[in-house]
Amino acid sequence: MKKIEIPASENLAHGHLACAGCGAAVGMRLILKALGENTVLVIPASCWSIIPGPWPYSSLRLPVIHAGFVTGGATASGIRAALDIRGYRDTLVAVWAGDGGTFDIGLQSLSGAAERNEDFIYICNDNEAYMNTGTQQSSATPSLAWTTTTPAHHPKENPKKDIMAIMGDHYIPYAATATIAYPDDLLRKIEKTKQVKGTRFVHLLSPCPPGWKIPSEMSVKLSRLSVRSRVFPLYEIEEGKYTIQEESLKEKIPVEQYLRLQGRFSHLKSQGLEQFQRMVDDHWERLVKRARC
Amino acid sequence: MGNQIIIDHESQMPYIPVSQGDMEWNKTGTWRTQRPFYEDKTPPCNATCPAGNDIVSFILRIVNGDFEGAWGLIREENPFPGICGRVCFHPCEVKCNRGRLDEPIAIHALERFVADFAFHLQGQKVSGKKKERVSKKNKEKVAVIGAGPAGMTCAYHLARLHYDVTVFESLPFAGGVLRTGIPSYRLPKEVLDWEIFAIESLGVKVRTGVRAGPAMRIEDLSGYGAIFVASGANVSRHLKVPGEKSRHVLDGLAFLKAINLGEEINIGPRVIVIGGGNTAIDVARSLIRLGNHPTILYRRTREEMPAFEKEVVEAVEEGVELKFLVSPIHIQDKKGLKRVECQRMKLAEIDETGRRRPVPVRDSAFFLEAESVIVAAGEEADLSFFPRGIKKRDGIVLTQGGGTTTFEGIFAGGDVASRERTVAHAIGSGKRSAVAIDCYIRGEDSEKALQSLLVGNGPSVSLFPLFHPGRPSRNPHVVTFEELNMDYFERMRREKETQYPLPERIKGFFEVTSPLNERTASEEAGRCFNCGTCNECENCYTFCPDASILKGAKSLSHQVDYDFCKGCGICFVECPRRAISLKEESR
Amino acid sequence: MKRIITGNQAVAYGVMLSHVELIAAYPITPQTTIVEELSELCARGRVKAQFLKVESEHSAMAACIGASTGGVRTFTATSSHGLAYMHEMLHWAAGARLPIVLVNVNRALGPGWNIWNDQSDSLSQRDTGWIQLYCEKNQEVLDTILQAYRIAESVSLPVMVVLDAFVLSHTSEAVDIPSEEKVNGFLPLYSPKYPVDPMNPVSYSGITTPEYYLEFRYKIQKAMNGVSEVAKEVDDQFKNRFGRGYDLIETYGKERGEILLVTSGAVTSTARTVIRKMSGKGWDIGGMKVKMVRPFPSREIYQALQGAKKVAVIDRNISFGVGGIIAQELRACLYHREKRPPVFGFVSGLGGRDITPDLIEEAIQYTLDHSQPEDDIIWLGLKK
Repeated sequence: MKKIEIPASENLAHGHLACAGCGAAVGMRLILKALGENTVLVIPASCWSIIPGPWPYSSLRLPVIHAGFVTGGATASGIRAALDIRGYRDTLVAVWAGDGGTFDIGLQSLSGAAERNEDFIYICNDNEAYMNTGTQQSSATPSLAWTTTTPAHHPKENPKKDIMAIMGDHYIPYAATATIAYPDDLLRKIEKTKQVKGTRFVHLLSPCPPGWKIPSEMSVKLSRLSVRSRVFPLYEIEEGKYTIQEESLKEKIPVEQYLRLQGRFSHLKSQGLEQFQRMVDDHWERLVKRARC
Repeated sequence: MGNQIIIDHESQMPYIPVSQGDMEWNKTGTWRTQRPFYEDKTPPCNATCPAGNDIVSFILRIVNGDFEGAWGLIREENPFPGICGRVCFHPCEVKCNRGRLDEPIAIHALERFVADFAFHLQGQKVSGKKKERVSKKNKEKVAVIGAGPAGMTCAYHLARLHYDVTVFESLPFAGGVLRTGIPSYRLPKEVLDWEIFAIESLGVKVRTGVRAGPAMRIEDLSGYGAIFVASGANVSRHLKVPGEKSRHVLDGLAFLKAINLGEEINIGPRVIVIGGGNTAIDVARSLIRLGNHPTILYRRTREEMPAFEKEVVEAVEEGVELKFLVSPIHIQDKKGLKRVECQRMKLAEIDETGRRRPVPVRDSAFFLEAESVIVAAGEEADLSFFPRGIKKRDGIVLTQGGGTTTFEGIFAGGDVASRERTVAHAIGSGKRSAVAIDCYIRGEDSEKALQSLLVGNGPSVSLFPLFHPGRPSRNPHVVTFEELNMDYFERMRREKETQYPLPERIKGFFEVTSPLNERTASEEAGRCFNCGTCNECENCYTFCPDASILKGAKSLSHQVDYDFCKGCGICFVECPRRAISLKEESR
Repeated sequence: MKRIITGNQAVAYGVMLSHVELIAAYPITPQTTIVEELSELCARGRVKAQFLKVESEHSAMAACIGASTGGVRTFTATSSHGLAYMHEMLHWAAGARLPIVLVNVNRALGPGWNIWNDQSDSLSQRDTGWIQLYCEKNQEVLDTILQAYRIAESVSLPVMVVLDAFVLSHTSEAVDIPSEEKVNGFLPLYSPKYPVDPMNPVSYSGITTPEYYLEFRYKIQKAMNGVSEVAKEVDDQFKNRFGRGYDLIETYGKERGEILLVTSGAVTSTARTVIRKMSGKGWDIGGMKVKMVRPFPSREIYQALQGAKKVAVIDRNISFGVGGIIAQELRACLYHREKRPPVFGFVSGLGGRDITPDLIEEAIQYTLDHSQPEDDIIWLGLKK
């Protein structure tokens, strides 16, 4: 039982409009504490276009540039250049994009920026569907999950894209997965991104109570189960070298313990559960193999 | 900052949507359908402890490095941590929730550690130290009969309540069964002396060599507002076999008393000890140390032995022979030796003690020879000196609640009033009687008072609220293992106290068990879940999506910011120890 | 210093002299030589801008928006499909009131693929809130870029400077490239109004409810209303300093004549020769070059039309379902006014089809021969 040292400043002030129990709000709050106030945040269209509150208010205590859905990587490239030109070389630029704005519509912009190794921290807040528009599927939605565009009798067929592999293959200096149930790990990784120049990518899994059909109090617990079942392994890619965190190397739990707590998987029967387990096992093997090389 | 912005003309607006203020005005607390709040609850250890110790709190102090503070906290309830840490049967450890993950916390070891720590810190010298007098003694006088654990505990708390207490003790020394019945290799005499001294330092007068009975009738004691009788159970039970009252057949309690009072005993070398309780084991292990060869005869099996497991294990290590399913039927003399005719037993159906009844096996008699026999088959209380008419049953005085008897003004506790004969129970009964006596003298309702002091569902009480009014009390709900969040705990090894190695161990009556040290005590205390008790792990603060957990200026003063808390319940789930409660929001 | 340079090179020089700080662009024919020229100038240190070689036009505009919000002077260039791809972000740039300057080389939209001269790309963006300035010559291109930054930073609206594909972009003309000192006196460094400042954190462009959105849009229109005055003032200052000016519209030939021929872009040069020739033959023809298409200079155009009996508009563009765009806008600006000469809307030159002097003469002849146009759209040069 450890006490976690967390910076005290609240850069996500209360009064914001996130749903009760929003996993992303936990993540944003912790990450902004770690990033500090000398940061410019770029937010492409997502839940976080709404959560900070409508004009004339904002509960984010940093400069925030709300941007078009597609444009996380490009807008951040522009703001980074402007800050450098004006002499704000120590000011961080961070993008907070959803899975839609990263895996799908925003992929081009992110890929272009990563290829240029633009100097920003890109955080993909992954709640595994287009939540802001009402839970439609994205390419980050896991297979067999219910969404409004993949109903229970015809759930999503294809597996979730491996965005970490995609980003790693851009030869960026740092990429990492993180999730809210492991705040020490998350904060350590954010600290690392602050020390590195170039494109740094953080894939943050954020449980979403309405979209995952879970009670609001379960967000942190499910985040933990995602890691322990190896559905969402914690690892880093630093200059091409993989490090899998201890939490993911220890004995895993069956995916069923993770899936059965979520309404979006409640339609799964034993066949579906087995299929999911096989998929998780296969992806884990792939990761381990890649890590070994 | 913080207020709503009112705009009624376009000219008041900037030409682009640049934010002008924050969302502090938006009190999202109105969204709530359930409300979390901090509420310490009762851990199973606290609930189970017959002495009413606040175990979880003293362990927390050890974690925070405040060993002396931990000791002080125990002494808010129990003046005998050094003793309990050594000889208590620790039911707390049986109920400890940690046991469901790996092993229960070694609570007794922690209690002993802090007592020893304080002992070393405050000096071991008892004699010659000036007895401090508590200045205020503005209340009535109370008499206590018996300076054993029950009597001394009652006296201790009454003195803290500023009563003028006199304890009457028949023996030359205070301590009761702690002095006479428990050998010093389990409980060193200096520990007992020091803890008794501490009680006397509060102004309690112990008058030794005074026996209640025809010479001093209880009902004749005058000038006392109340009398607490805790004379113990010191009379050995008889086996009711022929030859029991012959030469070289001793009674176990008398034997132990003689040893503890430093008397010479002529016994052995071979000794047959009859009985399966702590007394029998204490007798046997003492005999080993005196160079004898004891053999214990017990009519049931090892599993049913009432003696503490640890004691039995150590006894066997030391060479005590144990014979099970054996019952003596005749003790004879033969050529200067004792010859015990024994019968083999087998276990039949379950009896009123919940154990299987031993029944004789036909034609199984055999003989054992020894120089001496010691009978340690249980003890009874001497009730003869109680006033006529006081209600008794089955060898104990009948009492209610805080020890009230049928005789007004006379209270009873400890072994004389209960068949649950442990040190911890005695301490607990002394505490309850202190409250009952205080209420009786002031004319208040003792039932109500005791009810308000219950730990969990009782019957133990905590006197902390009496001496520290205004402090928040624990919710009596006892936290179960299922209510804890195991995500935050990993299996860890239990720290163990060390035993003195053989063969040196049996060369004298010095203490067998060595305490934990500061490092091992801290590690072991660190394994404690702190069930139902906030220990500032800050999970709630870390995981709140709405920054609505406020850390108080003082320690352990977390609060929920109800203006903004949306009632998601994450803090409730992620509190590893159920220190947060959740209830429906009333609107 | 006079040099013989192409329109695209003139753009590059204009950008260099404007002390642009950030350039983000994606190549597309026929804009490519702008990007190449700027890369060369950046590499040689003559353009001290950061050049983001973004991976698409949409990202180019997004990067400019990010940089401009960050408080630096930005530039991009594109054409045709690139501009169409940028469309979402064009709206965003104007709504964010960022003084970005974009050079669009007018090129047709596919399918089929067509890389040649056509105004449909820029004109189909006329609703986005950008100021649009059309150029007739390479000199004008360079000069307009300098003016564009002045106008943009004054009214806080982005400006699109437009030139014809190949006819201007890849054709060399004599251009006077002013000295840096002279330009510095005309165009000061950019001083942003709400630059990003970590010491004073605010959120930009957050969600704006119906309660306030109307007012922000009102402010954009209000700014647009002030553009013609600002543009004229800037042009006057330019004229004083550099000896040449362009105004919002330019009239030439016989203003009070039978016909006023309205054109925009490079075809105006051809129109001038035709009108000179026909005037020489005794015809009363005047010409109007529309430089500023957004905001549409209704008042100025109406005044210029006072003397004409008929108006002929040659549109090198089309809005399907309506007709030539300039013609349509012009008709609309006449509607509630007193003097309403008939407007003949000619559509020609799409996809780089040459608008020859003969075609222009044909249009004028048609206008002379008819009291009213037979149709909303009269096609010139159609194979039929």
